[in-house]
Amino acid sequence: MKANVVLQLIWKDFQMNSRVIIFTLAGGVLALAILLIGGPTPLVIGTVFFFVAIIFCACLLPMQSIVNERKKQTLPFIMSLPVSSSRYGVAKLASNIGMFLALWLVLLGVGIYMILAQHVLPVGTIPMGLILMNFPLIGFCLITGTALVGESEGLATAAIAVVNSSYWLVWYLLVSHVPTLTRTWNGPVAVWSPAVFKTLGVELAVIVLIMGVTLYLESRKHSFI
Amino acid sequence: MNDYAIELNGVCKSYRFFDLQNIALRLQRGTIMGLIGPNGAGKSTTIRILMGLVHQDRGEVNVLGHRMPEEQVSAKWDIGFASEDMRLYDSMTLGWHINFMKSIYASWDDAYAQLLLKRFGLRAEQKIKGISHGQRVKAALLLVFARRPKLLVLDEPTTGLDPVARHEILRELTAVMADEGRSILFSSHNTQDVEQISDQITFIDRGRIIDSMDKEVYLDRWRRLRLEVPAGIELPALPGVIGIQQTGRLAVAIANAFESHLPNAYENSGARVHAVENMTLEEIFVANVEHSREEVGA
Repeated sequence: MKANVVLQLIWKDFQMNSRVIIFTLAGGVLALAILLIGGPTPLVIGTVFFFVAIIFCACLLPMQSIVNERKKQTLPFIMSLPVSSSRYGVAKLASNIGMFLALWLVLLGVGIYMILAQHVLPVGTIPMGLILMNFPLIGFCLITGTALVGESEGLATAAIAVVNSSYWLVWYLLVSHVPTLTRTWNGPVAVWSPAVFKTLGVELAVIVLIMGVTLYLESRKHSFI
Repeated sequence: MNDYAIELNGVCKSYRFFDLQNIALRLQRGTIMGLIGPNGAGKSTTIRILMGLVHQDRGEVNVLGHRMPEEQVSAKWDIGFASEDMRLYDSMTLGWHINFMKSIYASWDDAYAQLLLKRFGLRAEQKIKGISHGQRVKAALLLVFARRPKLLVLDEPTTGLDPVARHEILRELTAVMADEGRSILFSSHNTQDVEQISDQITFIDRGRIIDSMDKEVYLDRWRRLRLEVPAGIELPALPGVIGIQQTGRLAVAIANAFESHLPNAYENSGARVHAVENMTLEEIFVANVEHSREEVGA
C-alpha cells in the first residue's frame, strides 16, 4: 500500500519545528503566569509578552519551514518525492496551520482558564480577547501564504513587517471605533453580542480567503524549483 | 508498456534569457544515458521538466509511461532523483532521513541501505551538518538507491567530489544496473564519468540537443587525422569531416563520421596521413559543441 506523502510531510514539519512550538508555548504560559502577580504593571507586561510569544511564532514558523526549505536547498529533496507542487502546498499549509493552531489553542485555553479560575482579568474580556487572539492567526496565515506563493525571503520578510506593524493599528481601530465590543469587557460575564459574532465571522472569512488564494496560486505554478 | 523509460518530443521552454528548443530524447529501459553539456546548456532544465518540476511550454514528456507534468505523482514513485543542488536537512541525522524515506516507500531495502552505509563510510547517527560535501552527496544517493527505483535521474551527482568518492559512486551506479529493468539518466560536464558508465550519450548545448547516440558508435565514428600538406596542395572538403585546422604544412582533420577510405582520400589529394587517432569523449564533446555553434552561427 502506498503511503500518504502529504501526511508524512506534515508529520516531518511537526518533528522539525517542535522546538519552536515548545519554546513559544513555554513563553506564552510564562507571560500568563505574570498576570497572577496582580496589579496593573504585571497585567501590561504579561499581556504584551503573551502576544509577543504568539507573534514571534507566527513569524518564525513560516520562515523556518517554508522559506528555509527553499533557501537551504532542501526543497529539491522534498520535490523528488511523489508529490506535486499543489500537494506540497497543501502539506505546508496544513502543517503550519496545524502547528500554529495547536499552540494558539493551548494558549487560548490557558488564558481562559486564568480568567475563569484565577480571575486575572474580568470574565467580560473573553470575547474581545478571542477577537484580538485572531489577529496573530490572520497575520500568520498571510505570512505563510506569502512565503509559500512568493518563493522569496524578501517577500516573506516584507509580509512580516507589514503584518507586525498592522496589529497595533487594527487593535486601536477596533477598540476605539467599535464601542459595542468594548462596552462589556469589564463586566462579570462574557457577552456574545452580534457585533462580536460579526467580527469573528469577518476574521474567519479573511483566514479562509487567504488560504483559498494561496492554494489557488500554488496550483497554478509552472516552475517549482 | 513501451520500450522507453524517458521520451521527450518537441519539448520547448522559454525563459527571458534562455530557450530550450525542440528537445527530443529517448532513454531505452535498462540503459544508462549520459547527458553532457557545458554550464547553462539546459541539462538541469531538461531534467526538471522530465521530473515535472518545471512545466514545458510545448511538447510531450513521458516518463515510465506517465505523461508529465500531469502524472508526476504516479511517476515519481518509481523515480529516484538526486541533483547537485539538493541538500538534506542539516539539523537532522542521516538515520532520521532513512526513517523518513522508509515511511514513504514500501520498496525501501533496509539491508541494502545498511550495506551502502558501510560502503560509503557513513554513520546513521551523524547529523548532516557535521559531514563533508562528499559524504552529503553519498548520503543523498544512499536515500535514492535504497528505494530501488526503476529510473534514476541524477543531475551532476559527482560535481565537487574527490576522485575516490567519484569512483565509489560510479561503481555503485554500475552495480545498480545489475537489475536489467533499471534505467539511469546521468547529467554531467565531467565526460570521464559519463564515458565510464554510459551506454548512450547525448550532447546538449545552448538549449538544443546537438547529438544523441550509442557511446561505442560515438567513439568509433569520431577520429582525428594528423596530416602533412605539401606546399601547393589544398585539402579537399570530404564528407564526414567537420573541421580542419592547418598550421603551415601540418593539419589536423576532425571526422565525425569516419570511414576507412578517408585516409586514402587525403593521400590521393597529395597530403600525407601521419596518424589516425581515436578521440576521447571530452575531445568529441568539445569538437561537437564548437561545430554546432559554428553551424548555428553560419
